[in-house]
Amino acid sequence: MLSFIVKRVGQSILVLLITGLVAFSMFTFVGDPIDNMLGQERTIEDVERLRQQLGLDKPFVVQYYRFLEQAVQGNFGVSYRQGRPVAEILLERAPATLELAAVSGIFAILLGIALGVFTAIRRNGIAANLIMSASLIGVSLPTFLIGILLIYLFSVELGWLPSFGRGDTVDLGGWTTGFLTASGLKALILPSITLGLYQMTLIMRLVRSEMLEVLRQDYIRFAKARGLSDRVVNFRHALKNTMVPVITVIGLQLGSIIAFAIITETVFQWPGVGLLFINAIQFVDIPVMAAYLMLISVMFVGINLLVDILYAFIDPRLRVAA
Amino acid sequence: MRRLSTALALVLALPATAEEFNFAVTTDPQTMDPHAVNSTPVLGFLNNVYEGLVRRGKDMSIEPALAVSWEPIGEGEGWRFKLREGVTFQDGAEFTADDVIFSYERASSEQADTSSWFAPVSEVVKVDDYTVDIMTTAPNPIFPDSIANWMMMDSGWAEANGAARPDKEQGNYATLNANGTGPFQVVSRQPDLETVLEPHEGWWGEVEHNLTRVTMTPIQNPATALAALLSGDVDFINPVPIQDVARLEGNPEVRVIQGIEARVIMLGFDQQEGAAESGQGGADMFVDPRAREAVAKAINVPAILQTIMRGNAEVASQMVSPAMRGYSEAHAAPYAYDAEAARSLAEEAGLTGQTIAFKCPNDRYLNDEAVCQAITSMLAQAGMEVSLDAMPVSNYWPELRADNFDMYLLGWSPGTFDAEHPIRFLAATQDDEAKLGSWNFGGYSNARVDELLPMIQSEIDDTARQAMLDETAKILQDEVAYVPLYVQPLVWGARSGVELTQRPDDFFILRWVTVN
Repeated sequence: MLSFIVKRVGQSILVLLITGLVAFSMFTFVGDPIDNMLGQERTIEDVERLRQQLGLDKPFVVQYYRFLEQAVQGNFGVSYRQGRPVAEILLERAPATLELAAVSGIFAILLGIALGVFTAIRRNGIAANLIMSASLIGVSLPTFLIGILLIYLFSVELGWLPSFGRGDTVDLGGWTTGFLTASGLKALILPSITLGLYQMTLIMRLVRSEMLEVLRQDYIRFAKARGLSDRVVNFRHALKNTMVPVITVIGLQLGSIIAFAIITETVFQWPGVGLLFINAIQFVDIPVMAAYLMLISVMFVGINLLVDILYAFIDPRLRVAA
Repeated sequence: MRRLSTALALVLALPATAEEFNFAVTTDPQTMDPHAVNSTPVLGFLNNVYEGLVRRGKDMSIEPALAVSWEPIGEGEGWRFKLREGVTFQDGAEFTADDVIFSYERASSEQADTSSWFAPVSEVVKVDDYTVDIMTTAPNPIFPDSIANWMMMDSGWAEANGAARPDKEQGNYATLNANGTGPFQVVSRQPDLETVLEPHEGWWGEVEHNLTRVTMTPIQNPATALAALLSGDVDFINPVPIQDVARLEGNPEVRVIQGIEARVIMLGFDQQEGAAESGQGGADMFVDPRAREAVAKAINVPAILQTIMRGNAEVASQMVSPAMRGYSEAHAAPYAYDAEAARSLAEEAGLTGQTIAFKCPNDRYLNDEAVCQAITSMLAQAGMEVSLDAMPVSNYWPELRADNFDMYLLGWSPGTFDAEHPIRFLAATQDDEAKLGSWNFGGYSNARVDELLPMIQSEIDDTARQAMLDETAKILQDEVAYVPLYVQPLVWGARSGVELTQRPDDFFILRWVTVN
């Protein structure tokens, strides 16, 4: 068991290192940050001097090595655009993204399961068919379009909800939260729907098809024959068995909610790490891009590692194979 | 928990009065340090917080700010500035000649991005607490014009906070904090998210605005910014996407403020012999001035402005717009559109049959890529084959520096608001030592222009100076050094109750804003 874990951890670190290398080789194509850092009256000398100071005259492998050297000591460098430590900026921005991801995740799970069960039980009803057709919109419309549509409807036309930003936040010792103010809660609504809609329809359709499958099973028929109420049959027996594959999918989608947040954050000017990343790309803010990509890959690799280890606990055959 | 709920109650209880003003910008100023980055977002914003010896009025004319008067010393050895007395910085410190000396040293240091403003300066001398002499190496008639954005920083504040020099790479105290003498002070700054300003109570000037609190939020997505303006979440946005102008004009709740910027959009050419070793396009195709003239005649600029700019821009005839000092009235005629003449010129110059590598940015100027596409098809109509390559500006400048082009698009806004500025940066022969021609990517070179430039810089007599500027404009036009296309439009949007002043430098000056 121990050798299995050690091996998996080793593989994960290798994946991280390769991701970083690929990321750094891409930065050359994003452009040159120097022109963004200097004004129009700069001289060619200024350009060369700054390039040297930032170490941009070195090949990308050397730049990557320097980044790693600093990163293992907890130093992610200083943002070219903001002139502040990248770690500080990321910590400042993370709560916004995590709160948005949490709210849209909960929205997607609760509504997805409820609607999935409903459409499965009443599979020939008008309401269920309407919901099924409407859910196609959630799957097929791109996120930014949904966001813009919601803004125009609820902010511009109706004036109910704010069109951008996070509203007022309360600082709880380094963690800024939007949960404690009215404007913060209002500001969460549209972006959460935008971000969660796709996941919601995905969960709903999955729950529906799984549920339909389960409802055809013999034990459900026997339960009904025993005279158990519909509620007990549907929720105690059928839903429970539906949840196994659903939970696996939800777990896998967790990472993509955070990754997809980039688009939603851009549309709503949501001050999270995704928006930070987009701005960093435009400015060619290499330290921010590097740290963000490393953070996201650590997250994905971490989730996968955890899942692998859990599987190994559950399924002894994997341990043997390893 | 109690503290939390008090905080909560405070947040909820904040009154929303009419004088609270929110505005959105596309680019957050990357620093609060007035000497670290010489760019429009930074200087435009900091003009509300810091002040210079002189400033620009609503019509761009130079007027007294922290200096009450100035006069040339002797036969043009320099300028003497009399400083305003009783001016205090926002932290309460007094403004004196020592701060001017300090700000000179800081802004002209190697670490600063503003050092080019002080190239003509030999030394700055404190005469007394409220008199400063700025000595120049040669007579410099436009020196006061060129330092309108040179902002004064308190020496004591900067030194106490370890910010005696700007730091572009690591940042320092002055990157995040500001302490100027201007009408507004920064009360909170979250880079990229929100910057809050409040009026500086001790400001020396007469208050014209009625703002009590100003919040600036960067919004990069133009559709989001527009929605924020329409829904009233912000009171002002810059810019309004050109394609939405007509729609906004029909809305009584908002208004569009249009004008022209100081920026002239033009085409540049690779004119260096044997410089096309990059393998892109044919060698030396634009060394022949007839080839450049062919391009100039093939482009129907009014048609581009009508369709792509929806009539919001002006045709340009030279490298500066008519609003600039030193604009040449004598050479105000743009190249005439004549596709047939263009075709025969292109044939004579041997352009026909070659593919012109045309580089263009796609996120730098208003509708830049669309303009380049229009130019590409207009040149095709005149028998010139063009391969257009549009890219983000971060990739664009390195490409131009590497000479990977035959033709390129460039916008130029003269920092000094004077016709001498583009000559120095775009038309003078490249000379790194003398800091000349640093944006002359195409390698244009004319001995007479190089000879005229220092004479223009030091000529005190306005008529003689204008004659030389006219001569330069004529040479550049005759040789088609660049093909000036149009003056870029400025399109701002505001809620209908907002009164403001738009200046061609695209600076949003808060002390002229009133909200009704």
